[in-house]
Amino acid sequence: MGQELLKKTYPVHGRNFDKAGEAATEIKQLLKELGLDAALIHRAVVVAFEAEMNVVMYASEGTVTLVLTDDDIQLEVADRGPGIADIALAMTEGYSTATNEMREMGFGFGMGLPNIKKNSDVFHIDSVVNTGTTVSSVIRLDSSA
Amino acid sequence: MRICPTKAIRVREGKAQLLPDLCIDCGACLRACPSGAIHATTRSFAEIDKYRYKVALPSPILFGQFPLALTPAQVAAGLGRCGFDVVCDFSAELALVNRAVRDFVDQWHGPYPLLSIWCPVVVRLVQVSYPRMVDQLIPIQAPRELAGRTVKQRYSQELGIHRNEIAAIYITPCQAKTVSIRAPAEGGRSNLDGALGISDVYNDILALARPAEKTAGGPALPSFSCGAEMLRWSTSEAQGRVLSRHRYMSVTGLGNVIQVFNDVEKGKLRNIEYLECYACRGGCANGNLTVDNVYVTLSKIHRLLANLPESDPALEAEVERRYPQEDFSLAAPVRPRGIESQRCDLKERVRWVKRQEALIEALPGLNCGLCGAPTCATFAGDVARGAARLARCVFFSDERLRELRDTYLRRCKPPPDD
Repeated sequence: MGQELLKKTYPVHGRNFDKAGEAATEIKQLLKELGLDAALIHRAVVVAFEAEMNVVMYASEGTVTLVLTDDDIQLEVADRGPGIADIALAMTEGYSTATNEMREMGFGFGMGLPNIKKNSDVFHIDSVVNTGTTVSSVIRLDSSA
Repeated sequence: MRICPTKAIRVREGKAQLLPDLCIDCGACLRACPSGAIHATTRSFAEIDKYRYKVALPSPILFGQFPLALTPAQVAAGLGRCGFDVVCDFSAELALVNRAVRDFVDQWHGPYPLLSIWCPVVVRLVQVSYPRMVDQLIPIQAPRELAGRTVKQRYSQELGIHRNEIAAIYITPCQAKTVSIRAPAEGGRSNLDGALGISDVYNDILALARPAEKTAGGPALPSFSCGAEMLRWSTSEAQGRVLSRHRYMSVTGLGNVIQVFNDVEKGKLRNIEYLECYACRGGCANGNLTVDNVYVTLSKIHRLLANLPESDPALEAEVERRYPQEDFSLAAPVRPRGIESQRCDLKERVRWVKRQEALIEALPGLNCGLCGAPTCATFAGDVARGAARLARCVFFSDERLRELRDTYLRRCKPPPDD
């Protein structure tokens, strides 16, 4: 475990499509100011954005927490929401429980969780049905894209 | 200072300074500068005169700048009389590039969307702020560059002179293209030898467009016909016509482009194949070296287009003939522009960011600009990095207030008596 340098928490509101993606944008700006490699920033932004969208689409509220250590970028996205009954199924590319309405808005292609995993060096998901879900992702600073 | 979209301007001792790493050549400052202190890097006729043969390549926007009573042929004639040997229409190059784009989009397998590179500000923005997206910039020469190559080849053959004796001068709607001619984003050398702003030649063209009125004689210029392809390109959705069967999108205005690029960066908009983007709202007709209003210009261009036939068989034949032989590739791929000054220890940078956040809380948030930075947040960043002292803020220093009075009140008249 590297030494923690910086920790930030961004609130995310469920069903608020108007503000959806703002946490990811702020994280991108912060990481850019910190002069991190563009490929790392890109991966972190994709992870933050996809996880943030999941909160917006399914949960009532949640948080995106960014922890920067001298070894890695850690992102934890926790929500209070319906939870995921079958995590293995949810991890399948193309599987989605999005409503038609969400699909019309351009979301719900079933790529969110697989994309998060693909862009993480360490990926973990915890969920309790009717309580909430926590997605954790670690991107190592010395890893390449 | 505040107009700068990348916050690249600071005012020191009453003068504007530029942080070159942050500048994307958008020219917003040029449009806004109250004292006219910021100039475009256009050429002068004196510089162009040293060439033996001078070719003007007018941006299609030029023809929408004048009263409709002046035909494109008269505008071109006026431009020629300003000091060119010939004025060239480059409809063929535009059509060739359109086809090259279509074929490139067809064979591209991602990442999507591909981005147009005709606007140098967009290219620079990607290099500075979206380095991951440089590979999505479509690697096809801009029509103006292709036209520069064509006219040099053509006239060096026809006249038997060296291509270096021929000046290919672009008549530009914006200063950004002058910068891209001086220093192309991909490196290498431009096929053009410089640019004159539309506003630089506007009055002369008005005066010289109708020769019968004033200037009798003078060298006869080859006749000029402005093709529909030229006029079509002036609209910001020019390529929608060519890419009608593709998933195409057009974006104009730097703020909109940034919003859309942010989405692209997050992995949205992957279903768009080609994004045509321009930093000026409404496209090049709104360039900062144009004269007429963007909407008036576009309306006039539509009127001019209405008088031209839909198709041009001669042009189509030329495109058919030339397309297989033309090389559209860039000299080199466009690479990100590394911001050198940002390379330092991560822990140090974390300290900067934390200090900046603490300073933002401490500053009044009025964005008065008296410190010389455009916003309190920018100033906080400058102070955190050691690039400015907190005492530049008038809220923290009476001395600073006195200094500003000395600098600025000296330029002013005393207030009137009541």
